[in-house]
Amino acid sequence: MKTENRKRKAEKSMRWTPALLFTFCLLLSAGGAAWAQSRDWEKEWNETLAGAKREGKVVVAGSPDPVMRNEIVPKFMSRFGIPVEFIAGRSSQIVARVATERSAGIYSIDIYLAGPDTTANTLYGDKLVDPLKPLLILPEVVDPAKWKTGKPWFIDPEERYVLRPFRSVANLLFINPDHVKPEEMRSSKDLLNPKWKGKISTEDPTTTGAGANLASRFLNQLGEEFVKRLYIDQKPVSTRERRQFTDWLARGTQPICLNCREDDVRPLQKEGFKILEIFELSDVAGAVNGSPWLLTLANKAPHPNAARLFANWMMSREGLEIYAKGYGSATLRTDVDESFLNPGNIPRPGANYFDDTDWKWVVKGRKETRSRVWKILKSR
Amino acid sequence: MRMPAASLPFPGLRVRLRAVHLAESLMLVFFAVVMGLPVLFLLWSSLNVAAPGKEAVYGLANWIRGFSDQGTLSALWMSFLLSVVRLIPAMILSVMVAWLIARTDMPGGNTLEFLCWFAYFIPDFPLVLAWILLLDPSFGFLNALAGALPFVEGPVFNPYSFWGIVWVHTSTNGIWFKVMLLTPVFRRLGASLEEAARVAGASNLVTLRRITLPVLAPMVLAVAALSLIRGLESFNTELLLGLPAGIYVYATRIYDYTRQEPPAFGEATALGSVFLLVLVVLSYFYWRYLRGKRFIVVTGQAYSTMRVKLGKWRYWALAGCLVYFAVMMILPLSFLLIGSFMRRYGFFDIASPFTVAHWRNLFMDAIFLSSLKNSLIIATATALAGIVLYSTVGYLVASRKSRGAELLDLFCWLPWVVPGILMSLGLLWLFLATPLRSVLYGSVWGIALAMTIKDSPVSTQAFKAAFLQLGPDLEEAARVTGASWGYTYRRILLPLVAPIAATVGLLNFGSALTSISTPVLLYSAQSRPLSILLMEYSFTGELERAAALGLLITLIISAMVLAGRRLGLKLTGS
Repeated sequence: MKTENRKRKAEKSMRWTPALLFTFCLLLSAGGAAWAQSRDWEKEWNETLAGAKREGKVVVAGSPDPVMRNEIVPKFMSRFGIPVEFIAGRSSQIVARVATERSAGIYSIDIYLAGPDTTANTLYGDKLVDPLKPLLILPEVVDPAKWKTGKPWFIDPEERYVLRPFRSVANLLFINPDHVKPEEMRSSKDLLNPKWKGKISTEDPTTTGAGANLASRFLNQLGEEFVKRLYIDQKPVSTRERRQFTDWLARGTQPICLNCREDDVRPLQKEGFKILEIFELSDVAGAVNGSPWLLTLANKAPHPNAARLFANWMMSREGLEIYAKGYGSATLRTDVDESFLNPGNIPRPGANYFDDTDWKWVVKGRKETRSRVWKILKSR
Repeated sequence: MRMPAASLPFPGLRVRLRAVHLAESLMLVFFAVVMGLPVLFLLWSSLNVAAPGKEAVYGLANWIRGFSDQGTLSALWMSFLLSVVRLIPAMILSVMVAWLIARTDMPGGNTLEFLCWFAYFIPDFPLVLAWILLLDPSFGFLNALAGALPFVEGPVFNPYSFWGIVWVHTSTNGIWFKVMLLTPVFRRLGASLEEAARVAGASNLVTLRRITLPVLAPMVLAVAALSLIRGLESFNTELLLGLPAGIYVYATRIYDYTRQEPPAFGEATALGSVFLLVLVVLSYFYWRYLRGKRFIVVTGQAYSTMRVKLGKWRYWALAGCLVYFAVMMILPLSFLLIGSFMRRYGFFDIASPFTVAHWRNLFMDAIFLSSLKNSLIIATATALAGIVLYSTVGYLVASRKSRGAELLDLFCWLPWVVPGILMSLGLLWLFLATPLRSVLYGSVWGIALAMTIKDSPVSTQAFKAAFLQLGPDLEEAARVTGASWGYTYRRILLPLVAPIAATVGLLNFGSALTSISTPVLLYSAQSRPLSILLMEYSFTGELERAAALGLLITLIISAMVLAGRRLGLKLTGS
């Protein structure tokens, strides 16, 4: 009996042994793979770093940018000992420069930090960029848990080229409450109140830029009649100088600003000016965008290792947090401190936003709608 | 100055003429390459109607689109109207001020001339904002003052209007540039003609109108033409003051095309071609007016620079100038200076409105020192190259009556008739197409060369006018005594045009420090000049720091002006 029992126990344990062995092996291999992977990325990272040091610099092109000039460049230098050369200019200037350089066989730029229009329609559209996705190796960058979107968000159709690290709720408009009571600006109809005739400022909606983009959004959401009444009947005031908008807003000359930039308004608020941002109206849904930039890797980058190093670091918590603080933009990382952000800029979970950096909208929808806006407004 | 070969009295003269002919040919080739090719490239590119990055397809679509755009013609008309309206009073005033400074015994002339230099290089963007602070209908300082008067109701001044733009233009670049160019030429005028007129009983004004101005016509007309072209190209002031009032100018439309995404350089070039047409028309009339006339005022004979005595009017004249300078320059400049020390430009009613933070931040900017060094190298190289190159061109254009010289004269106008950013694009293309691209592209030397090219209209016309004033007997006397052409040029001609050389050098120095559109496509991180830093500050809304940097640049130029004037005066022996 005892012998049988022992036999049964032995058979039972024999049945479990392969499973245990398998589990042990599995754990061992998983641990080994993780260990090996950790060793792999470290090895690759160190090789990239060494290569970047040999290359001596990384060349980044983008709009004039105080955060880049004052914070990113010195931080990257102190972190890796590699200087960042920042070529600043309007998108049109950068594009013209790159196109002419390339026609002469010169490739001087490593990384582009550009807005959605330039990135989607020119850099990606004209095939000036290389896939970036395979070059991301820092564990904190590739770790899905570190991203609100479950992974680094590549927004191009192939999901390899154009990396979007920001998603902030954009201001719809700003008001000076000394002149416009918040309750006077609840719905889009309030913008059409004759009381505000000549009191609204906007970037020129008949040229490319923020003015035309917002007008396109209005056309898309509110229709042609609204666009006509707002941009023609209300006689909004335009300028090409962004500082003038915020000065008008602060002084109350034009107390409703459709295209003031948040980084221009923030210093005014710090100075004690009572300026209110309005993110949405009852009949105009809030919008999110990818401001301040989308990141792409130039093809035939002259400093490929330095470019890879920069892209990885820029997407790290340290890199993005500097930008988030500098611009007040919400990043897509889960570990970036957002306590310093205006809560209104942080997208609400589950809320339905119009995405102004949506690929299809940027490539097709906005262009078409903008053409319709121009047709409507130029016939005035 | 050119002599027919058959009548050459000296065998050496043939060699000299061959050398001059060679110099002319070389210059013609050089300018055809550096000025003609970029323009041709732009014109050719404007015919490419394919989408960017796609294979070229040629057609007229860009041109049709540019000119069929609603508002283009009205904008062109507005530009002409604004240019002409502000040109006429500004020219009259400039001639008067230059005459008072250079030809009369009005006290303080040198100081006034220096102030013109100072005013010219003050960046116009913060200066326009200063005028807005003074004249805005809602909060303008002068409107508030006027409103305090019992008989005034509502705002008196409005900068956002046609006349507001004319007024602000008169302040920002109305007479300074013209006085700077005209004064040395007036100064060079020998007094013998004026003395003869006075002996014949002519009054000072009649002498100025009938004798002085006709003799100085080449420079006066050149300055008027330069000002007209600059007026047509101007858009900074119009962007700030015109748009709020719905006033669009032609240059704004070109500007809009260049900053589109993707940029529409084809349409911009098409619209820019109108400037080329204006240039051709102006050149024709200029050439017709000067044809067959002589403007020699400096000869080897008796030369007197005795000044016109104004008597008791000298103080009235000074008072008039001072009032003009005070209103047009000191008033907005004070606001600009104060603005650089304000926490927010123009906001006096915030708590503790003043700060030195913008100046401190400027000097603390990590790239400030390297940018300053680059700017000084670029500006010095541009000034020296400009003097050497354009004194030769000016001499050739003034002394030779060949087709080559006329063509050379025309080429030298091109950089100003092509909008800045387009010229920069053309030069970028040119630099990259040459074997010297490793030296020129992205280096301070490339930017200096581009700036030298960009300044060619004013430099050439200034030297040309100066050489037209010199009599041929000076050169001939030197030759008779055995002097080589190089020796004659160095020891006789150059000292005589030294004030103009100093003016051209300083003008080039200043514009190399302040120009943004030319270096913007050509700089690299190693060659970034101060003007690009200024652009970055303006672009990102750091207006106060931009004002501080603008003032600093103006101070650097002013120091150079003082030094340069001393050098110029020393060379002339004055």
